[in-house]
Amino acid sequence: MSDGELTAADVPALTAGAMLYSPSLAPSSLAATVAWLTDLLERGGPLRLVAPRALPPDVGCAAVCVIGSGAALADLPPTGDEFVAAVRELERLSGREVGAVLPLSAATVSALVPAAVARQLGVPLIDADGMGRTFALIHHTSMHLAGLPVTPLVVAGATGESISLRVPDAWRADALLRAGIDALGGWGALAAYPSTAGELATASLPGTVSRLVEAGRVLLGTRDPDAVVARLAAVNGCRRVGRGRIVALEHLSRPTDATIPTHPSSVVVEQVGPDARQLRLELRSEVVAVFSDGSLTAAAPDLITLLDVERGVIAPLDSLWPGDLVDVLVIPAHPVWYSAEALTMVGPASHGITLDHPRRR
Amino acid sequence: MSRATAPLALAELVRVDPLARGEVAVLPDPAQRVLGVELAETFDRLARTPAHSLVVLHAGAATGGWSLAAALHVAWERGAAGVVVPRAAMSGASALLARRLGTALVVVDDDAVDVALELAARTAAPESARALRVARCAEELAEQSTVRGVLGVLNAELAPGVVALVTGSSVLAGRAAAVQQREGYREVRMAVNGPGGRAWASLVASLPEATSAVAAEVEARSAESVLRLARLPLLAAWAQRRLDTSAQAEAERAAFAVLRAAARSRADGADTAPGERDAAAGPAGGAAGDEAPSWSAELGWRVEGVNRAVRLERTAAREGDDEPAAELTQLLRVQWARLRPGWPLVPHEGGWVSWQNAAEEPAPAVVRRAFAGLEPLLADHGLVMGVGAGHRGTAGLVRSVEEACLATRAGSDPVTWFEDVGVRAVLAQVSAPAVADVAALALPRLAAARDRLVLAETVAAVLDHGGSLVAASAELGVHRNTVLARTARARELGLALDDPAQRLPLHVACHGLVRAWRATGSG
Repeated sequence: MSDGELTAADVPALTAGAMLYSPSLAPSSLAATVAWLTDLLERGGPLRLVAPRALPPDVGCAAVCVIGSGAALADLPPTGDEFVAAVRELERLSGREVGAVLPLSAATVSALVPAAVARQLGVPLIDADGMGRTFALIHHTSMHLAGLPVTPLVVAGATGESISLRVPDAWRADALLRAGIDALGGWGALAAYPSTAGELATASLPGTVSRLVEAGRVLLGTRDPDAVVARLAAVNGCRRVGRGRIVALEHLSRPTDATIPTHPSSVVVEQVGPDARQLRLELRSEVVAVFSDGSLTAAAPDLITLLDVERGVIAPLDSLWPGDLVDVLVIPAHPVWYSAEALTMVGPASHGITLDHPRRR
Repeated sequence: MSRATAPLALAELVRVDPLARGEVAVLPDPAQRVLGVELAETFDRLARTPAHSLVVLHAGAATGGWSLAAALHVAWERGAAGVVVPRAAMSGASALLARRLGTALVVVDDDAVDVALELAARTAAPESARALRVARCAEELAEQSTVRGVLGVLNAELAPGVVALVTGSSVLAGRAAAVQQREGYREVRMAVNGPGGRAWASLVASLPEATSAVAAEVEARSAESVLRLARLPLLAAWAQRRLDTSAQAEAERAAFAVLRAAARSRADGADTAPGERDAAAGPAGGAAGDEAPSWSAELGWRVEGVNRAVRLERTAAREGDDEPAAELTQLLRVQWARLRPGWPLVPHEGGWVSWQNAAEEPAPAVVRRAFAGLEPLLADHGLVMGVGAGHRGTAGLVRSVEEACLATRAGSDPVTWFEDVGVRAVLAQVSAPAVADVAALALPRLAAARDRLVLAETVAAVLDHGGSLVAASAELGVHRNTVLARTARARELGLALDDPAQRLPLHVACHGLVRAWRATGSG
């Protein structure tokens, strides 16, 4: 990546960064998408990566991402035209041509797909997104907080079918889509938030795509866990809560929350060293909270992730095993997520943890 | 604060329902006072918990995982006495955290609201809770049938205090730490009288010092109540144990007699000539020709294969003596079981019989090693031991027992092996008391001499070695001249060592006299 360009050579770093921001996914499930994007960039040349402010304010934009299950995407690979079809349908519904796309959430597979779509459409990729990480529902975005409507939206499936949706209340969109996505095969290509570059200049979170590449370079550059933490701190404010061994994995220990499709479970880490404390990580589809000797130390929207100390790599949540030595890392989210309104939406209470966020105490 | 309203300690509260129905996961400070009960369903409520209250988690505060960890943290911050949690919300990691924070944690299966209500009633009326505790303890004690069981209940009930049953300075059962003076602990003692009101033993409890005078009095009083309740079950269990042990020993004695009689009658039925009896059993490897009765296995005995018997006898025992005291048999059986597990110990004709059983005869060195290390036991109880040879089957066992008996009588060492005794075993048939009686008539001057035992030993040794003074002096460990002087004195007293006609009876008489005088200590 140089001077606002994304090249095929940047894809490994982009992928590594995308994994850091969504550690629940196994790297192997991204393989097909990585190969697709690399091929597109090799054949089509570098992609323009621009800040929203660098575009004329009236350029039409859309947020794209994969909605549904990343594992389903690996099982039922895209035919390649789903995202373009979704954007074209959105253009038809909104009556505005799309001149640039941005990731709905710059993390996991949804950090890679927008680059591929931009390449396919021949438009720039906006260096910004709506989440700065991943949240569970599609209206959990800074655009929604800023008042941009999530719909009309289009979801296109690998089957050639598509769903379009218009809702007056953003929070209904996810609920209405979910059954349809199951019927499409478990995942769909989403194009949503039809908007202008001018609107996105204030409503999106800037710099999040290039930040992924920088973080990815750190992760690929060294396997020394202390160096990884120190360098990530410079990129995204990452800090280490503690280092310890996993002593327990508690699965399905509690009743599930009906609104967020996931199973609550816990990972318990006994810190090593003289100031040994017990760290309890609460898991939903991601790590949503860290308790240190029972005291809430970090919680969503903080991004909480584990670094495998012995291998110097980010540990996917489904690979954890008692006895593993891990660093518990906390990366602060964009400040917009710590407002009272945003915390209600994505804070600890949204995961059933009825405690004040550590940043609000 | 009056005695009746002294608040309950956690240790007391967990002994009564509803917590007694639950499970104590962590109890770092059993002496912690409980001043109230809080039913907490939210973290806001938890954050207002008064110090020294017992927090019962419920609803949103008891969803498990993070909620219990967070509740433990708040309880620790607020100085709560402990946390009560429904089982569904409990996990091993939470117990670890409770231990780290030093916060008591009790798991309950009942509905949290019911538990909180019951707990509130208990803490509001401490004396009634204490009465309930004593009643519950009485039930548990009544269920115990062993001394160990009774002490186990006491130790659980008075934890972190420890309890032991002592007589004199010996600990009969329980935890030895109870009789040690420990910093921060005080002693509560309760005499236990045996049948007829005689003092038999004492129950000693070592309890942590109380925080206040009132608490000290309350605790001493409830400890005394509990110890008092334990006295009767203890006596009953002790009596039962004595009864059981005696009955078992008697059963084994009778069983061995039956086994012996059966083996003998089989041998007699085979119409063997005197002196050949039991030869059919043969030495190790010979045809056994008999089978062990099935009931011998029920007693835990093994008689198939090669048996090598041991005879234990009191040094001072005389032929025709009564059986040794039942207490001695009990004591020996316990110690023997510890030293030689798997070997029975059966009271038999004034002594005891035991045997080693092996599928095949082990190598001689292995055999000797198996019998080593018993000397301290023999010395402690004034016993001698004879070891028979190894023979196969039931008949072989009976034969080995007879050999062991002969070795005991023929030998003069604490342990005598039949294989070492050889033909001297014949001397075992000499009735020592009868010889002593005859000697008084035939050798009156020797019998009247002050040094008669030394003289008889010396003459026996000289005759054992065919008249060799050198060999006799080596065996006796004295100078040759001493032997010479003693034989000269023996001759003066009428012992005709040089008369071929008298040598054999004199030799036998001396062995008999030595044994009789040693046994009676009248040398």
